Amino acid sequence: MKAGFYPKMAVSGMRKNGRLYVPYIATCILMVSVFYIMHLLGFSNILEGFAGAGTARDMLRLGTVVMAVFGTIFLFYTQSTLIKGRLKEFGLYSVLGMNRRNLGKIIFFETLITWFTAVTGGIAIGIGLSKLAELGFRKMIGIGSSYKFIISWQSILTTVIVYSFIFFLIFLNAARKVRFSRAINLIHSDKTGEKPPKANWFIGITGLLIMLSGYVIALKIEQPLSALIWFFVAVILIIIGTYITLIAGSVLLCRILQKNKKYYYKTNHFVSVSSMAYRMKRNGAGLASICILLTMVLVIMSSTSSLYLNREEVLHNHYPRQINCSANNYGFSEDYEKTASKLEDEIIKKTNEFGTEAKDIISISYCDISGYFENGKLNVDINPLEMTTTIDYDKVAVAYFISLEDYNGLTGKEEVLSNGEVLVAVNGNLPFEDSISIGSETFKVAKKISSNEDNLKNIGMNGLVSSLIIVTDDFNGVASRFKDISDYRGEPMLVWEWKFAFDTGLDESQEQEFNNRLRSYIMDELYTGDFYLVRSECRSEQREDFVTTFGGLFFLGILLSVIFLVSCVLIIYYKQISEGFEDQSRFGIMQKVGMTKEDIRNSINSQMLTVFIIPIILACIHLATVLPIVHKLLMLFGHNNVPLLLISAGICVLVCGVFYAAIYKVTSNAYYKIVA
Amino acid sequence: MSLLEAKNIKKIYKTRFGGASVEALKNVSFTVEKGEYVAIMGESGSGKTTLLNILAALDKPTEGTVILEDKELTKVKEKDVAMFRRDNLGFVFQDFNLLDTFSLEDNIYLPLVLAGKKHAEMKQRLDSLAPALGIGEIIKKYPYEVSGGQKQRAAVARALITNPKIILADEPTGALDSKSSDELLALFKKVNQMGQTILMVTHSTKAASNASRVLFIKDGVIFHQIYKGEATDRQMYQKISDTLTLLAQGGDN
Repeated sequence: MKAGFYPKMAVSGMRKNGRLYVPYIATCILMVSVFYIMHLLGFSNILEGFAGAGTARDMLRLGTVVMAVFGTIFLFYTQSTLIKGRLKEFGLYSVLGMNRRNLGKIIFFETLITWFTAVTGGIAIGIGLSKLAELGFRKMIGIGSSYKFIISWQSILTTVIVYSFIFFLIFLNAARKVRFSRAINLIHSDKTGEKPPKANWFIGITGLLIMLSGYVIALKIEQPLSALIWFFVAVILIIIGTYITLIAGSVLLCRILQKNKKYYYKTNHFVSVSSMAYRMKRNGAGLASICILLTMVLVIMSSTSSLYLNREEVLHNHYPRQINCSANNYGFSEDYEKTASKLEDEIIKKTNEFGTEAKDIISISYCDISGYFENGKLNVDINPLEMTTTIDYDKVAVAYFISLEDYNGLTGKEEVLSNGEVLVAVNGNLPFEDSISIGSETFKVAKKISSNEDNLKNIGMNGLVSSLIIVTDDFNGVASRFKDISDYRGEPMLVWEWKFAFDTGLDESQEQEFNNRLRSYIMDELYTGDFYLVRSECRSEQREDFVTTFGGLFFLGILLSVIFLVSCVLIIYYKQISEGFEDQSRFGIMQKVGMTKEDIRNSINSQMLTVFIIPIILACIHLATVLPIVHKLLMLFGHNNVPLLLISAGICVLVCGVFYAAIYKVTSNAYYKIVA
Repeated sequence: MSLLEAKNIKKIYKTRFGGASVEALKNVSFTVEKGEYVAIMGESGSGKTTLLNILAALDKPTEGTVILEDKELTKVKEKDVAMFRRDNLGFVFQDFNLLDTFSLEDNIYLPLVLAGKKHAEMKQRLDSLAPALGIGEIIKKYPYEVSGGQKQRAAVARALITNPKIILADEPTGALDSKSSDELLALFKKVNQMGQTILMVTHSTKAASNASRVLFIKDGVIFHQIYKGEATDRQMYQKISDTLTLLAQGGDN
């Protein structure tokens, strides 16, 4: 056979199926370019010379991996849809005398062309857009722009290698599909009589149960640490549940509706319910994929955007004042208190020497001990390595002891205690009656107090785990009672902490200069070695680090969301086209039997709308149930602004909804063009 | 007063770019009386399917009129045409045209559901119809699960269930084996004897020999017609064969 025959066949085949191939190749190009950009930002030295550059690069590297994995899965899926649509054509070639080897060659050249276009186009566009992406990123994290333009050979090479590998896998899969089908089957592949979908109660209900159990986990988790562990379990359950429910559950629903004669035999329900049952069986997986992608976009965008928008508040929570000094030590001794007040005096003196004064001083010292809360008691002598039952992380709790004097000072209240009674503030689900036990000590509770007081937030770890704040009028006495308890490694379990924070009224550069002086003074002259750790941090110095983390996450979130949305569009588009071809003949029959054009249009419209609306409604439900656990995860970053999270989520839903409606409009036109 | 009257029907197809035009029907006129069983015969390309489409209001003639019981088909408004078809005409097609998403029962109900009838009424009509058509057993099955003959009987049930004025059948035996064909033709005869008017387009001599009258169409005109009268199917078959031979030899009558 003449050389160039197969490439020609491949080109003409792709051209004839342009309606399918153009969007496919465009998506490939986009994926390659985003991969290149992420790799470039993550692995080259473009992002350098600012605090948190390392964090930013790490995140983008993670993004690169996500892109590679998602790209593989998605292009695999798309390619198999494409090949399925062309089996008939290959069947014809096969009847005309091509053997499987020849067909394999055509597929090879097709994949080669797609690969070449995608990789060259993607890298070219990636290079073109990389500067824009870099500037956008720098703007987002608020660092100055650079004027270097970098083309990284390393990134280009990696992109080429990764996508060559992906396309090689795709080729093998397509070749396998064609190889294992017979010529006659290839020709009739689209006409094989499909059985009417059977309602499967067992699978349908199992799917629903799996999804609901995911919901329950997402809603039930109370503390950030347990959220970290259970989040992925919930996500996986919800994903699996969504797929099963949409595939089997929806058929079940249609069958139930069909049983109801009064409902079913109505002009507007009759056609749509029965063809929905079919459509769901074939397209349930597609719908579930759309739903999952939408959910991912919604969750990613609402969480990263609210993190980013809330960066100042988080920074302020971590660093309540301009200058933040702290120290801690194991065990307890009254000497600690003395050292602390000496430190305070020296720091204030140093501040005055610098020519300013310490304002809005926060000064706290407290002890804490951690344990496992059960039956109104915090067990402090548990060895986590020997626990037989699984740990419920919501029950891991820390007890903070604070003196009444400090409490009144912090909150401006005038509480009085007597007879060894205590005030208790609870954060988390730790039930107890009128007394509470910590280890072997039991305290009578005079009153429960709110843990939401502003200054009480400076105690402890910002609500990462459940906590008890115990206010006592005999701080030294109580602390001494716990100081000898040691954990399984022999270290004292009681930790003493001291925090001293104040504003100076200095501008940023002066603030940083002062902090540097203060830090070296504390380290070199004040620090006596008694303390485990003493440090002084200033807020403006930490800002860049914070912003880079949150900005980096937001940037990554945007890039991934774009990719997910585009993938979503492509799935929807293919769905519409394949349904269009399916409905073409049905459309004709119904008209002959006496359905008016308007009836048909209405029925198809309502059907498509239902099928279209299911994923986004379900995605919104997913988002709503997952938000509480997402909120807990955000608390790990110190983000505790629920209204902002809700607003971001609302805006994301709105934007996504409008975008989705636009896709619907555009792709349904493609559908009508085929049907009409 | 005839039930159906076609007057001077002419149909010209234009190719897409308005170049050459093809005259599918030149000048066709005929009438069908109530209770008649008429077959229209002709070779492929003779224009018989075009004619049927026009009678079914699926297509509009270039010239001429079709009148069904005082109602001029060509003047029915575009948006009412589907409803008119649903209420007055029943269809049986060569390839059955059953929807694969419906069970046979639901396929039969389709026109009634579109007309907004109650389920109880639909069921009653089907129950009285099903035994005669021999589909009582298979009514819950799906089209892909039953044989061609059974599919076609379901299609006949769908055509009959609206009590149409006339049944239009397009090559109803075309996709059936000979046994199923015989059964279907017997069914048509039975239905006709109950008073149902049938107009069938076919090129099967055997199918046509069942009809009470056969029209022959060639090159877009009605060429000839023969009445069955008191003749048996076999005699009718012979008559039709002779006419077809004559037609094929290009003779004038």
